[in-house]
Amino acid sequence: MRYRSLFWKIFFCFWLAAAAMIGALNIMLWFSFTNDPNPERRRGALGEALNLYAESAVQVYDSEGSQSFEQYLNRSLKEAGTEIALFEGDGTPLIAQSSPEVASVAAEIKQTRQHVSQVSALGRLTWGRLVVAPSGRTYIFVSRLRQPYVPRGLPNLGIALSIVAAGIISYLLALYLTSPVKKLKSVVQSFAEGKLDVRVTPQLGNRRDELADLGREFDHMAERIDALISSQKRLLADISHELRSPLARLTVALELARKNVSDKGIAALDRIELETERVNTLVGQLLALTRLESGAERVPPETVALEEIVQLVTDDANYEAKPHHKEVKLLQLSPCRVRGSSELLRSGIENVIRNAIRYTAERTAVEVALTLRLDTATLTVRDHGPGVPDAELAHIFQPFYRVGEARERSSGGVGLGLSIADRTVKLHGGTVRAENVTGGLLITMELPVSPQPVVTHPAAEKVSVS
Amino acid sequence: MVSVLLIDDDTELSKLLEEYLQSEQFELDAAHDGPGGLDKALTNQYSVVVLDVMLPGMSGLDVLKQLRQKSAVPVLMLTARGSELDRILGLELGADDYLAKPFNPRELVARLRAILRRATTGGPSAASQPVHLAGVDLHPDSRSVTCNGKPVNLTGAEFDLLFTFLRNPGKIISREDLTQAALGRPMSAMDRSIDVHVSNLRRKLGPYDGEQERVKAIRGSGYVYLLPGEQ
Repeated sequence: MRYRSLFWKIFFCFWLAAAAMIGALNIMLWFSFTNDPNPERRRGALGEALNLYAESAVQVYDSEGSQSFEQYLNRSLKEAGTEIALFEGDGTPLIAQSSPEVASVAAEIKQTRQHVSQVSALGRLTWGRLVVAPSGRTYIFVSRLRQPYVPRGLPNLGIALSIVAAGIISYLLALYLTSPVKKLKSVVQSFAEGKLDVRVTPQLGNRRDELADLGREFDHMAERIDALISSQKRLLADISHELRSPLARLTVALELARKNVSDKGIAALDRIELETERVNTLVGQLLALTRLESGAERVPPETVALEEIVQLVTDDANYEAKPHHKEVKLLQLSPCRVRGSSELLRSGIENVIRNAIRYTAERTAVEVALTLRLDTATLTVRDHGPGVPDAELAHIFQPFYRVGEARERSSGGVGLGLSIADRTVKLHGGTVRAENVTGGLLITMELPVSPQPVVTHPAAEKVSVS
Repeated sequence: MVSVLLIDDDTELSKLLEEYLQSEQFELDAAHDGPGGLDKALTNQYSVVVLDVMLPGMSGLDVLKQLRQKSAVPVLMLTARGSELDRILGLELGADDYLAKPFNPRELVARLRAILRRATTGGPSAASQPVHLAGVDLHPDSRSVTCNGKPVNLTGAEFDLLFTFLRNPGKIISREDLTQAALGRPMSAMDRSIDVHVSNLRRKLGPYDGEQERVKAIRGSGYVYLLPGEQ
């Protein structure tokens, strides 16, 4: 799990923001309703109403008697939720029961002879004053208003639950926002790996937002690149293919010329034959490369004895290197079984070894070793040549890449051999890399080893080999 | 003069080859498409057919398939260089040998001569006594083979290959020797045509009772023709 991914960033940011808002809201509510510095301020108009209320209640008692007051009191309690109490001016209660808040307010009025109001912690107001009735009697009127609505903060469990809910919503939101990015990424990745026919749009469904737009734009781009590359490859393959017919004719014409030429002309014809063969090789390599890159070549389900191929190629290469005072030495040869095409592998390995012979200095040897480690066959080819500048190491597997213009041309290379080797090994699920070692270049090819017993060639598939 | 039929869509190449082969005592006739070439080949007036695999319209492999249903005329295939699959398919379909195009005409003449030498002299099996071995009867005179009483249809190369095996049962024969015997030419580097011929022969004869193969590959050495019960 990558905690720095966009998904987690969005998820945590949204969740933290939501949790912070829930917390802040609760704290604000708490402060505003418990620590109101001046509750009186909220009761300007209420005071007027309470005065009227007090006077009318006292008038009811004073002029209509306790029976009517009792009814008035009950109605008031029932309809408005307001508790009313009436005391004699000396504090004697005129009705039976009254709540402790009412009693304490009445006692305070008795002492201070002024109007008093008390507010409970939850904002319930108890208010009272002295009222002089038209009859001249003095009463203490106390009323306790209904508990007002107070937007209290949520309890602790509620806070926890809402944060969890915010977490779930943030998770879904992050998922919704990042899942197309993830799909886009996987598509871009396979596109970069050479699968030029992958597209994003079918994976995004009915989405219609900026990310879907991005996906569509990517698809347009992919389409265009795909078309460009395939037309370029087709062109290369077509040119190479079309070159073969004139080459075939040239070879026959050359042999015809040989029959009718004097001894003086033979040298020139030999030269023509050599150059024709070079063009022929180039065309063959180009076609091989385009076939490898187009995916037309498939790895056949054969098991190949890699050491036999290496042995064969090394023998041939050594034979060819001798006239140039160079040598190909086989340092180690472990039996390795690889799945694939022996023909393709042979040409891939041959290209690397030929390349090494080309660059190794005279009177030195190209050193070849095939080793088996766990499930990987490792073939190393080391020359004693000038090596390759480190900055250019990564490019030497590109077609037609030249490290040293003049040097390579004089050595007759066209720069396709290593590309063919690279594509061949990749086709077989392996890797190729190049590195500079003291006084030379080391090319390492790694191929996954086949778990199955060897089969010498497809013809012998049913034969068990002892 | 030996008559050769060339089936190749490249008319200019055909003309050049005609001129070259003439000087080598071959008489070349050319057809430039598949159906036309097939019709000509089926007239049976040619000693050998040179067939390009890449033909417009009808592929060379299809021509070969149809030709083999009616005729045993020796066929030399021209394949694209490095096109492994065409080569293997062609040999399986009954071509006698192949040559990668563009080819050196000297090599073409050498291959043609090898094919013709085998076809006219009857290869290594010529003027030999019939061979009977473990259910297989081989008659060099009629160049016919029966296996467990049933006739088996073999190409020239397969026939000579089987003859070589039957003369040396239980012995390991190198691929070089088998190539020389069956194709009349030395083996070239990474030349797998002999393996394809062995595979075809094995398929046509079928295994012994109990799934035991008649021909076994010995890695790095060659092939051995086994008798029933041998391992």
